[in-house]
Amino acid sequence: MRGLTKEYVLQRFLMYLLTIWMGTTLIFVIPRLAPGDPVSEMVGRLSLDAGYIENADKLIASWKARFGLDAPIHIQYLRYWGNVFRLNFGYSLSHFPTEAWSMVSKALPWSLGLLTVATVLSFSIGVTIGSLMGWRRTPRLLQMFLPSTLTFTAIPYFMFGIMLIYLVAFELDWLPATGAYSRRVDPGWNLPFIKNVLSHAILPVVSIVLTSMGGWALGMRGLMISVNNEDYFLLAQVKGLSPARIFFRYGVRNAILPALTALALGLGGLISGSILVEFIFAYPGTGYTLYQSIISQDYTVTQAIANLIIMVTATSVFLLDLLYPFIDPRITYKRNMR
Amino acid sequence: MAVGQRTVDEETTPARGWGLNTWDSPWLNFKFLLGVAIVLLILLFGLVGPLFWDTDLAYTGAGPLNKPPVWAEGGLPEHPLGTESNGRDMLAQLILATPSSLKVGFLAAIIGMGVGMVLGSIAGYVGGWWDHVIRTISDSAITIPALVVLVVIASYVQMTDTTAMALILALFAWPGPTRLVRSQVLTLRERSYVRMAHLSGASALEIMFVEMLPNMLPWLAASLTGGISAAILGATGLEVLGLGPTRVPSLGLIINQATTNAALVRGLVWWWLPPIIILMVIFVGFFLMTIGLDEIANPRIRQFSSSRRERTAAGELPAVGLVDDGAGGEEDAALKVNDLHVHYFTPRGEVIAANGVNFKLRKGEILGLVGESGCGKTTVAMAILQVVQPPGRIVQGEVRIEDRDLVSLSGKALRQVRWRDLALVPQGAMNSLNPVTPIREQIADAILAHESIGRVELEQRILGLLNDVGLPERVISMFPHELSGGMKQRVCIAMSIALNPQVIIADEPTSALDVVVQRVVAQTLLEVKERLGVSMVMIGHDMGLQAQLVDRIAVMYAGNLVEVAPVESAFAEPLHPYTQLLIESIPSIKERKPLNVTEGLTHDLRDPPPGCIFQFRCKHVEQICRERRPALVERDKDHLAACWLYEPDRHSLIELEEA
Repeated sequence: MRGLTKEYVLQRFLMYLLTIWMGTTLIFVIPRLAPGDPVSEMVGRLSLDAGYIENADKLIASWKARFGLDAPIHIQYLRYWGNVFRLNFGYSLSHFPTEAWSMVSKALPWSLGLLTVATVLSFSIGVTIGSLMGWRRTPRLLQMFLPSTLTFTAIPYFMFGIMLIYLVAFELDWLPATGAYSRRVDPGWNLPFIKNVLSHAILPVVSIVLTSMGGWALGMRGLMISVNNEDYFLLAQVKGLSPARIFFRYGVRNAILPALTALALGLGGLISGSILVEFIFAYPGTGYTLYQSIISQDYTVTQAIANLIIMVTATSVFLLDLLYPFIDPRITYKRNMR
Repeated sequence: MAVGQRTVDEETTPARGWGLNTWDSPWLNFKFLLGVAIVLLILLFGLVGPLFWDTDLAYTGAGPLNKPPVWAEGGLPEHPLGTESNGRDMLAQLILATPSSLKVGFLAAIIGMGVGMVLGSIAGYVGGWWDHVIRTISDSAITIPALVVLVVIASYVQMTDTTAMALILALFAWPGPTRLVRSQVLTLRERSYVRMAHLSGASALEIMFVEMLPNMLPWLAASLTGGISAAILGATGLEVLGLGPTRVPSLGLIINQATTNAALVRGLVWWWLPPIIILMVIFVGFFLMTIGLDEIANPRIRQFSSSRRERTAAGELPAVGLVDDGAGGEEDAALKVNDLHVHYFTPRGEVIAANGVNFKLRKGEILGLVGESGCGKTTVAMAILQVVQPPGRIVQGEVRIEDRDLVSLSGKALRQVRWRDLALVPQGAMNSLNPVTPIREQIADAILAHESIGRVELEQRILGLLNDVGLPERVISMFPHELSGGMKQRVCIAMSIALNPQVIIADEPTSALDVVVQRVVAQTLLEVKERLGVSMVMIGHDMGLQAQLVDRIAVMYAGNLVEVAPVESAFAEPLHPYTQLLIESIPSIKERKPLNVTEGLTHDLRDPPPGCIFQFRCKHVEQICRERRPALVERDKDHLAACWLYEPDRHSLIELEEA
C-alpha cells in the first residue's frame, strides 16, 4: 500500500535500463550512421595535418581491424555491449598501457564530489528562495530582496565561470583559477591538502550554484503558488497553526514533490553543463577527462567516460525514483501521472 | 434540487480560435515583450551588421595582432572592437557569429517542438499502448546527459555547417515538448468545451487545432523559448570545446579560441568578453520570454504577483470602520456578523461580494445560509474565518464571538481564537486534507496548536473523535487518498469538533458527495451538533437538504441578505420574491411541474444598481424598488425580509421624496 511496491520498482528499473540502453546505443550508432567512418575521418585529418600519408588505405584497414570496425554492425554492437557490461573499454590510446577504465575511475571522484555539493546547494538554496517567493506571508522586505538572487539565472554556468576566473582569480587573486589542487601540496588526508582542494572547488561550485539555483527557485515559486490555493492550505490557516508549520508541513512539503521530479529529470542537463565547467576550470573530473580524450583522439577513453556518465546519471535518477514513494505516499497510485 | 449546480469554476475562460488582438490580452506581458525586444535587437545586429561593416575582416590576418578596442590606449579606429591574436577583427567576427548561433537554436528547437507536438498529441489523444511507449521513451531520453552524447558524436563526425549541428541537437530537443504536449492534451481533453466539440462530431484534427492548440499556446511558446536557449547552450558548449564547425565563425568558437590562446591570463579582455556578453544578452532575452510566457500560461502566477501589487494599491490594512453596537441586544448570540463588506479588487474593477451582511447565530442553533453560486455565501464564510483570499479584502464590518471582533485580531491573537472557538467543515473534503500526511497528524496538528498534551492522551483523543463520527480506528494511520469522499468529509467533521468549539462553519459540507453519502454526512453533523450543543452556520445551495437540517435560514442574493427566518415559516410563507423563487424550484415527485428557468445573476457585481438588488428578476417590481434599497427588517415574528412589498407606507415614502 505504502512505500515501494514490486510493480513500481520493476517499472522504474526498466526505465533505468532503457535510459542506459538509449544513451549507449546513441553513442554507438550515430557515428556509424554518419557519412564516412571514424577511422577514415581520423586518417583524413592526419593527412590534412601531415600533407600526405603513405598507404592510407592500408592504414585505414589495419586500424579498422584493431577497433573491430571491420566486423558486421550487429557483431560490433554485441561486442560493444559485452564490453560495456564488463566495464572493459580496452587500453587508453594516448596513455598506453593505462587502461581506459582506470583513467576514468581516477576522474570520477572529483566530478562526483563537485557535482554533489553543487547540486545539493543549488537545489536547497533555490527551493528555499522559491518557497519564500511563493508564500503570501513572507515579510515584505524579503519579498523585495529575493528576486535579486535570480540575477544570474539566465547565464550558462561556464560563461559565469570564465568571468569568475577573470575577476576573482586573475584580477583580485583571491582564489586559484584552475585545477583541483596545487602541485605543491601532497595529496592525502591532511589538512593543508583538504584546504587546498576546497579553495580550488569554490569557484566551480559557485559558478554552478549561482547560475542554476534560479531555475529551481522559479519552479518552486510556481508550485508554492499552486499550493497556496489548495483547500488544505486554507484549512491549515483556519486551524490556527503557526505560520512556520503551515509553511513547512502544508506548503513546502507538498510543493517540493514535483520539484524533486524535476531534479531527477534535470540531472542530465546538470551533468552536461558541468563538463563545460570542468573544461573552463581545468578540473580533473570526468568532463575534463572526456574533453582531453577527445582532443587527443583517445577513443577508448571517450567511450568509457561517456558510458560511465550516462550510467551514473541514470543510476542517480533511479535512486531518486526509489526515494520518491517515501516522500509522496500517493505515488504508487498515480504512477501513470509522471 | 440545487439552484446552481456549478461550484467554483476552476477552468479559465477557454480561448477559441486565434484572436489575440485585445488590449488587455495576457500576451501584453512586460517580461515577455522585453525578452522579444532583446532577441530582436540582437538579431538585428547580426542581420544589419554586414551592411555597415566589412565582414571579410573576420578572417585570419585581416589586421594587426592583439589590438585593444578603439577607446583603450593603442586602439585603432579601423578596428573599433580590437583584434585578436590572429589579426581577426572582433566586430566583424561578432557580426558573423551572432546570427549563426541564433540560427542553430531556432532550427533545433523548432524541429524538436514539431516532433514533440506530433508524439505528444498521439500519446495524449490516442492513449493506450502508444501513450505508454512514447512516455517511457521520452522520460528516459530526457535524463540522458545530452552534452556527453553530443561531445562523443562531435568527436567522430566533423560538423561542417550549422545545419548539421542543429539536426544533431534536435535529437535532444524533442522529449521536453513531447511531455508537455501530452500532459496538456490529457488535461484539455477533460475540459467541457473539448468534450462538447467531440460530441458535436468535430474530427480529432479539428479539435486539436481549433479547441486545444490555442489553449496550450502559451505553454508551447514557453517550451519553445526554453528549447531555443537550451539548443543555443548546447551548440555553444560544443563550440567552446572546439567541437563545433570550425570554419564558420560562432560565438562559442571565439570563446574557444580565446581560452586556448590564454586570453584570460594575457589580459586580452576584448577577445573573450564580447561573445560572452552577446550570449548573455541572448540568454537573458529568452529567459525573460520564458518566464513571461509562464506567467501568461499560468494565471495563478499572474494573479499572485498582481494581487500583491493591488493589495498595496488598495492599502494594506483592512479599513475597519463601524460603530460598536455595544454588543448588547441578544445575549444568546454565539456569533454576530455586523455590516460585513467584502470587496475583490480585480484588475477590471471592485467586485462587491458581500454588501453589508448582518446576522446573529444563536447558541445551539444551525443557521442555513443559502443562495445561488456567486451570491457571496462562501465569501461570507471566508470572511468570518478571516481567510478572504487576495485580491479580496474585508473593507468594513465586524465578526464577533463573545466580546472579540475577529476582524481586528491578527497574528497570535487570531490563531488562538481559530479552531478553539471557530472551526470549519470545508467545502469538498476532496482537497481539504493534506495529501502527504496521515490523518493522525492532521488532527493532532489542530489539537497541538492549542493545547499541550501527551502522546498517549493525544492518540486516545483522536481515536475518540473518529469514533464520534462513526469511523473505524484504522483510519487514524491512513492517508487521504486511501479514504472515500464520505470518509474524508467525516474526518473533517471529527477534526472540527476536536477542540469543542463554540461555532462551526460548514461550507457546503455535502455538495461533493453522492446522495446516500450526503445523508450519512448530514446525519453525522446533526448528531455531533446535538451532543456538543455547538452552534453552526451551514452554507449550501440545496434547499431540500437545508429544510431538513437547519433551524433558521438566511437567504443571500448578490452579496446581500434578503430574508432571515425560522425554517418552517421560510418554507411555509416565504416573504421575499427571491426566496419564493428558490422554494418553487425544489422539484417534487408528487406534483410534476415544468422547472422554473431562472437566469442567475442579472447585474454586474462591480456596479450594483440603486434600489433593490433583485429588481431585474422580480415580478412585483415597483417604482420605489428601482430607487431605494430596502432594509432587512422584521416583518413577522422572527421573520426578517428586505423587500418593499411588505412596507405599507412605501408609496408615501417615495412621494415624500419627490415632494
